[in-house]
Amino acid sequence: MNLPFRLAFEQRTETPRRLAVMVPLLSVLAAIVAGGIFLFATGYSPFETYSNMLSDGFFSSTGITDTLGLSTVLICTGIAAAFAFQMNLYNIGGEGQLYLGMIGGAWAGLFFGDRLPGFVMIPVVLLVGAACGALWIALPAFVRARLGTSEIVTTLLLTYIGASLVNHFIYRAGSYFRAPNTLFPQGRQVPDSAMLSPLGDTTMYPTFFLVTVLAVFLWWVVRRTEFGYRIQVISDSPRAARYAGISAQRTTVQVMMISGALSGLGGATLIVGTFGRLDPGIVLLGYGYAGIVIAALARNNMAAIIVSGILFAGLRTGGDKLQISTDTPIHIGVMLQGAILLFALGGEAFRRYRVKVVRMQTATAQGAAQ
Amino acid sequence: MSNTSSEVAKGPHHSGGAAPSALSARNITKRFPGVLANDNVDFDVRPGEVHTLLGENGAGKSTLAAMLCGLYQPDSGTIARNGAPVVLSSPRAGLSHGIAMVHQHFRLVERFTVAENVVLGSRDLSYTLKRAELNDRVAEVAERYGLPVDPSATVGDLSVGQRQRVEIVKALYQGAEILLLDEPTAVLVPAEVEKLFENVHAMTATGKSIVFISHKLGEVVEISDRVTVLRNGRVTGHVSGRGSADTRELARLMVGRDIDLAVQRASHATGHEVLQIRDLSLTVNGIDVLSNISFNVHEGEMVGIAGVAGNGQKELADTIAGLVSPTSGSVSIGGSMSTDRGPIAARELGLAYVPEDRLGMGLVPSMSILDNLLLTRDRDTVVDRASVKPEANRLIDQFEIKANGPEHLARKLSGGNAQKVLLARELSGGRTATKLLVVCSPTRGLDVGAIETVRRLLDDARSAGQAILLISEDLDEIMSLADRILVLYRGAIVHETTGESAQLTTVGAAMAGLTQEVQQ
Amino acid sequence: MNSNIWVLMSADSVALATTLILAALGALFTERSGVLNLGIEGILLTSAITSFIAADSSGSIWLGLVVGSLLGAVLAGIHAVLAVTLRANQIVSGLALVIFGTGLANFLGKPYEGKNIETKILPLSFGPLTDIPVVGPVLFGQDPVTYFTIALAVGASWYLFRTRPGLELRATGDDPATVDAQGLKVSSIRIRYTLAGGAMVGLGGSWLMLAESAAWHQAATTNGIGWIALALVVFASWRPIRLIAGAILFGFTLQLPFTLQAENITFIPQAFLQMVPYAVTLISLIALSRPGSSNALGAPRALGTPFVRDER
Repeated sequence: MNLPFRLAFEQRTETPRRLAVMVPLLSVLAAIVAGGIFLFATGYSPFETYSNMLSDGFFSSTGITDTLGLSTVLICTGIAAAFAFQMNLYNIGGEGQLYLGMIGGAWAGLFFGDRLPGFVMIPVVLLVGAACGALWIALPAFVRARLGTSEIVTTLLLTYIGASLVNHFIYRAGSYFRAPNTLFPQGRQVPDSAMLSPLGDTTMYPTFFLVTVLAVFLWWVVRRTEFGYRIQVISDSPRAARYAGISAQRTTVQVMMISGALSGLGGATLIVGTFGRLDPGIVLLGYGYAGIVIAALARNNMAAIIVSGILFAGLRTGGDKLQISTDTPIHIGVMLQGAILLFALGGEAFRRYRVKVVRMQTATAQGAAQ
Repeated sequence: MSNTSSEVAKGPHHSGGAAPSALSARNITKRFPGVLANDNVDFDVRPGEVHTLLGENGAGKSTLAAMLCGLYQPDSGTIARNGAPVVLSSPRAGLSHGIAMVHQHFRLVERFTVAENVVLGSRDLSYTLKRAELNDRVAEVAERYGLPVDPSATVGDLSVGQRQRVEIVKALYQGAEILLLDEPTAVLVPAEVEKLFENVHAMTATGKSIVFISHKLGEVVEISDRVTVLRNGRVTGHVSGRGSADTRELARLMVGRDIDLAVQRASHATGHEVLQIRDLSLTVNGIDVLSNISFNVHEGEMVGIAGVAGNGQKELADTIAGLVSPTSGSVSIGGSMSTDRGPIAARELGLAYVPEDRLGMGLVPSMSILDNLLLTRDRDTVVDRASVKPEANRLIDQFEIKANGPEHLARKLSGGNAQKVLLARELSGGRTATKLLVVCSPTRGLDVGAIETVRRLLDDARSAGQAILLISEDLDEIMSLADRILVLYRGAIVHETTGESAQLTTVGAAMAGLTQEVQQ
Repeated sequence: MNSNIWVLMSADSVALATTLILAALGALFTERSGVLNLGIEGILLTSAITSFIAADSSGSIWLGLVVGSLLGAVLAGIHAVLAVTLRANQIVSGLALVIFGTGLANFLGKPYEGKNIETKILPLSFGPLTDIPVVGPVLFGQDPVTYFTIALAVGASWYLFRTRPGLELRATGDDPATVDAQGLKVSSIRIRYTLAGGAMVGLGGSWLMLAESAAWHQAATTNGIGWIALALVVFASWRPIRLIAGAILFGFTLQLPFTLQAENITFIPQAFLQMVPYAVTLISLIALSRPGSSNALGAPRALGTPFVRDER
C-alpha cells in the first residue's frame, strides 16, 4: 500500500519542558477516556466507576491513608525496577524477589521474634528480607554480567519458582511458616516484637516514611555520587565505560543486587506491616509487576516514583473497593493500569521524536518547473 | 592549465546541444534542521562519463548524491533522466530508473552470503530461492565487469575492498546504468584504488555513468572526465579532469581560500623515551591481530602509524591504552610497565588517549562537557562538579570550543568541537600530567577549518614537548605531520622511515603489504 | 514402575509441546523481524478465554480456535503499533501488554470461572496404528492441531531459509538499514510478522484452553508457559525445527506434576515438581549463553531496537 505521504521521525536533541510534562498527563487522560468507552460498551457506568474509584482511592478519610499504606510496598518495587531499568537491566522478577523478601522477613520474625526486643527486630526483619531479595536475583545478576544471559527471562522464571516456594511453605503440612491448628492453610503470625503498629487507626505504617526517604536518597545517589556517575556512563555508552576503566560487569551486579534487595525490602515491609505473616495470597496481588509499571511511568526517576507510586496505589485501592461499592469487577483496575502504560508508551514517541508528515512528490508537480 | 566553468556545459539538462545527459539535476535545494545542505545546485552526468563531486566534509556532496539516487527528496528543483523529468521518491524508484548508490558505510547483511546480499530486494527474484542458480547469475554479472567475487562467501568474512566490490556487483546486478560511489577510495590501499579505476573504465566503456563523491583531490583528478566542486552547499566551479586540472585551483574552489595543509616541521629537540613497545603481540580467536610490534616514542616527537583501516590500528591503540591485554610483549610508559594493568594505571603513568570513536567511546553523548571532563579523572565518592567548572570554562576558551558553556551536552557538539573537547581533556592531563598522547584518526569527517585547528593543536603540543603517537588512515596527514612513520600491515610493522624522506610510493606499497619490492 | 507411565508422559509431552511450539513459533517470527514481543503470556491468556467463550456460545470448537487466533493478532497489533510505528521501548510495551491482557482475560472470564467446556478437541483416530506399543499413542494419538503445529514448524523452516520473503524477513531482523536501502519497507514487514506471530500465539492459547485445560482458572491456566516459550526460541537459536525438540523436552517437564499425581507417586512434593519446568528452562538458557555478547547465538542482530532511518 503506497500512501502519498509517510511519517518521518526526527530524533529531538532536547525536549521542551512543557512537552515533558504534558505528554504523560495526556497519556493518562487518554487511557482513562479509552477505559470509559470500554466500560460503557460492556454495560458499566464510566461515571459511577471512576467517581467511586477516586473517592475510595483518594477523597475519603480512609481512602487516602489506605492509598499511602499500599504505596509503601509499591514505591519499593517501583524504585527496585527503576534502579535496574535505568541501566537497561530489565529486572522484571521483582515479584519473585518480593516473595523471597516476605519469606525471609517472616522467617526472621518467627526465628528471632521472641529473643530480641522490638527496636532491633524491625530492622532485622527488614534487612533479612532485603538480603533474601538480593539472594534471589544473584544468579540472574551474575550470569548477566559474566555470560550476557538475558535477565528478562531469568528473573521471570525465578518468580514462578518463588511462587512455588511460597505455596510449598504454606501448604505443606508442618511447615515452619504455617499456622498450626487452622482449618485452611494460612501463614503463621510473627511475634509482636516484629511488627509495627499502624499510624492511628489507618492502614498506614511508619515504613511509608522510610521508603520515601529511601527513594529520595537513591535519587541523590544517582545524581551526585561516583556510583551514580558510573551508572550513567554505562547506561549511555558501554564503550565509553570501558575506555574510562569503569567495570561494567561489577556495576551490573551491584545495581541488580540493589534492585533485588529493594524488592525484598518491599516484601519485608508487608511482614512488619500489613500482613504480619507469609500469606499465599501475595502471589495474586502482583505488587512486583505494578512496580514495573510505576517505574516506566516515572521514567526511572526515583523521586518521581513517589508520585507515580501513590497514584497507582490510589488506582488499586479505588479499584479493589469497586467490587464492594458497585458491580464492576476489580479487573478493570488492572486493565486500566496496563492501558495507562500503553498510552504512556505511545506518548513517549512524541516526546522523543518530532513526527512530521512528509508529502511525497508527484511527477506532475515537478514537471512544470522546466 | 585549468579550465573554468565558462567552458563547460551550458545547461544541466542538455549538455552542449548534444544528446541529453544520462542524469541531470537543476536548482536543487535541500534543508535540514539548522543547515542548508544544498543551495540551488546544478549537476549532470553523461553516458560513459566519470564525473566527480568534490568538496570537503560537510559541503553537501553526499546530500546531493542521496537525492540523485532517491534516498532523499529535494525541497525544490528538478531531476531528469535522459532529459525527461523524474521523481525519485525512494531508492527503489531510483533503481527503476537505473540509478544506484554505493554508500561509504556499506549496506550489507554480514550474516548473509554475497549472492544473498546481491539479490536481496531485487524485483525479479522467484519465490523459492535456488541457491546454485542465484550463485551462477551473480558470478556472471561480476565476471562481466572484472569484479571477482565468491557468491557463496559470507560477507562478514570479507575484507573492506572485497565488500566494496560486492556493493558494486549488487548495483550492476540490479540494473544500474548510473552508479554513485560515495568516498570509494577512503578504505582502499593504492593498489586497490588502481583496480577500482580499472573496473570503472570497464563500466564506462559499456556506456555506464559513474559519479564519484570525494574529498580527495589527487585520485579524483586522475580518473574524472569532469569535476564539480561544492562548498557550503553551493557549486563553486566545474573543472575538466583527466590530469589537466590544477590541484591548487581545485583546493581553492573547495575551501575558498588558499590553504596549506602541509605543516612546517620545525626542528626541535627530542627528549627522553616516553613510550616503549616491545614485541607486542595480540591473538584474538586464533588470528594474529598484532605481531611482534616494537617501537619507541620520545618527548617532543610525533610518530605516525600509517595503514589502511583494519590492519590492527584500533587494537594497537587499545592495547597501549590498557583496554586490552596483549598475548605477549610489553608496553611501558614513562619507564614503568603498564601492560596488563588496565586503562586507569596507564593514565596514572601519563597516558592520554583520543580514540577514533569520538562520541561513542571518548565522550558520553548524554553527558555535559563538564561531566565528560570528569570521565578520565579521579572522582570522589560524592562527585564535586563545582571545582571542575572553572577549568572547564578555561579549556573551552583555550581550545575555542563552540558550546554554551560547560553544561552543553556532548551529543549536540559538532564533530570538530567534539574532537576539540577530547583533545582539551586529554592534553590537560588528569590524574597526572600527560606525557604521551595516543590519537586515532583525529581529523576524519571534519571540515577543513576544524582539520587545520586540530593539526595545529597537535603540532603545538609536540613543540611543547609532548610525545605523540598518531594513528591515522589518512596518509597525507601522517606524511605532513609525523617525524617518523611506521607502516602497519596485518598487525605488523612492515616499514619505517622518517617524515622528511618518506616517499608516497614506498609507503603506499608497504600499506598494501608489498615491501622491499619497490625501487628507491 | 509401570512402563505405561513413560508412554503416557511422552504422549502428554508432545501434546503440551503443541502450545509451546505455537507460542514459540509466533515469537520466533516476530523476533526474526527484529521485534521483541514479551506480551506473549498476556496474549495466551486472552485468546484462551475468548476462544472458550466463542466455543461455548457457538458450540463450535473450530470457531473458538479462529476467534482466539484473531484476538492474538489484535493484541499483537497493539504492540506492533507501539513498537514499530511509534518506536517505543519494546520491553516495556510487551510487559504492558501482559498486564493489560491478564486484566482483560480475567475480566472476560469472570462469569466462566471454574466452568467446564462441553466439547473438547478430540484426538484423531488412526485406528490400529494407535495400538502399536510405545510409539502408538505418542505418534498417532494426538489431535489435529498438534499435527498441524508440527507441519507448521516444518513449513516455517522451509519458508525462512528457502524463500524470498524468508530472506527478506531474516534480513530485516539482522540489518534493517540495509533492507531499507534496498527499497523494502521495514515497518511494513515488522508489523506483518508481529501480527502473524500474534495469531500463532493466539492459536496456541486457544488450543491450550480447548484441548488441555477445558476450564478457566485465571492466570493459572497458562502459568508462565509464555515465558518458557520465549526462552525456547533462544534455546532453538531461532530455528523452527529445533523448536520441536526443545518443546517436547519442556513439555515433558510441564506434564510431570500431573502425571505423577495421577499415578499416585507422591514422594516428591508437588511444589518442587512445579518448579521443574522453570528450573530446566533457566539452566538451559544459562548453558547456552555466549560470554562477550549480550545476544545469544543466532539472535537477530537488530532484535529489540526500533529502526529510525538516519534522516541526516
